[in-house]
Amino acid sequence: MRNEELSDILETSLKAEPEYRLSANFAQKVTLSVVKREQWRSDLSDYLYLTASLIGLLVAVSGIYYIADKELLIRIWVFLKSNLLPVTFLFITANFIFLADRVLLRLLFSKWKQIN
Amino acid sequence: MNDTELISQLINGNKNAFTFLVSRYQKLVVHIAGRIIQRQEELEDVCQEVFIKVYQNLDSYRNECKLSTWIATIAYNTSINFLRRINKWETVNPDDSTVLKNLAGFNAESYETSDLHRYIREQIELLPLHYRTVLTLFHLEEFSYQEIEQITGMPEGTVKSYLFRAKAILKEKLKFVVDANSLKLVKEISNEK
Repeated sequence: MRNEELSDILETSLKAEPEYRLSANFAQKVTLSVVKREQWRSDLSDYLYLTASLIGLLVAVSGIYYIADKELLIRIWVFLKSNLLPVTFLFITANFIFLADRVLLRLLFSKWKQIN
Repeated sequence: MNDTELISQLINGNKNAFTFLVSRYQKLVVHIAGRIIQRQEELEDVCQEVFIKVYQNLDSYRNECKLSTWIATIAYNTSINFLRRINKWETVNPDDSTVLKNLAGFNAESYETSDLHRYIREQIELLPLHYRTVLTLFHLEEFSYQEIEQITGMPEGTVKSYLFRAKAILKEKLKFVVDANSLKLVKEISNEK
């Protein structure tokens, strides 16, 4: 076989596609994965914004009460201090329920849908 | 739809544009990643990682280079990082026993050109990592030397040198295989094994 023929064969082979393959619906799968990631981030940031807003609102209301009725605020503060453990537990539980509602359950359902 | 329109659609949050982008560039990514990692079973995960990085870094894409060059750079870096993760970095596959076995069934007098193409494709997979990468980028994806430099970070001279050496190796192997005497020798060695 002549040198030119060998060169031609080599050039053609180099342009031939390798036998690596992706699944037929690869593009859809990647898009779905990107959408899910975005959803998870957006859910988490929504939760954080809402929590921060609620805490801010609580602080603002406390500030107003501090000016309007200082006595009541002091009584609430004393009550909270004397019941620190149950109040903390209640706050954490409520916060977790909120997190589950806004983020965790949505994530769980999306995973469950993916499996089925 | 051209690449600029595609990017602006993506930045505006059009998910169908992203599906379109993946469909358009998946061959490019699968060729680069496939030739680098050489593992069909993990290829889809690596390609998915590439496109997720593309999506996450769209804001940092500047029109200084072609979109294909930018995606190829991400595909190259992701594949190299994958190899580093599994500790297979810079390993050259020295085991060409499969190719030798295939050669044993090869008949120098009556071979088909397609046999030679298949043989060359197998030989490309046995080349060192950088050789097969530049071959894929230059011949299969038709990137220029400057673009390959941008994608791989190798100087242009090195890219040219790797291309020259890789082709020289493949041509030598091809010459060897079409030579009846050499083939006879391979068959004898193969039978001894």
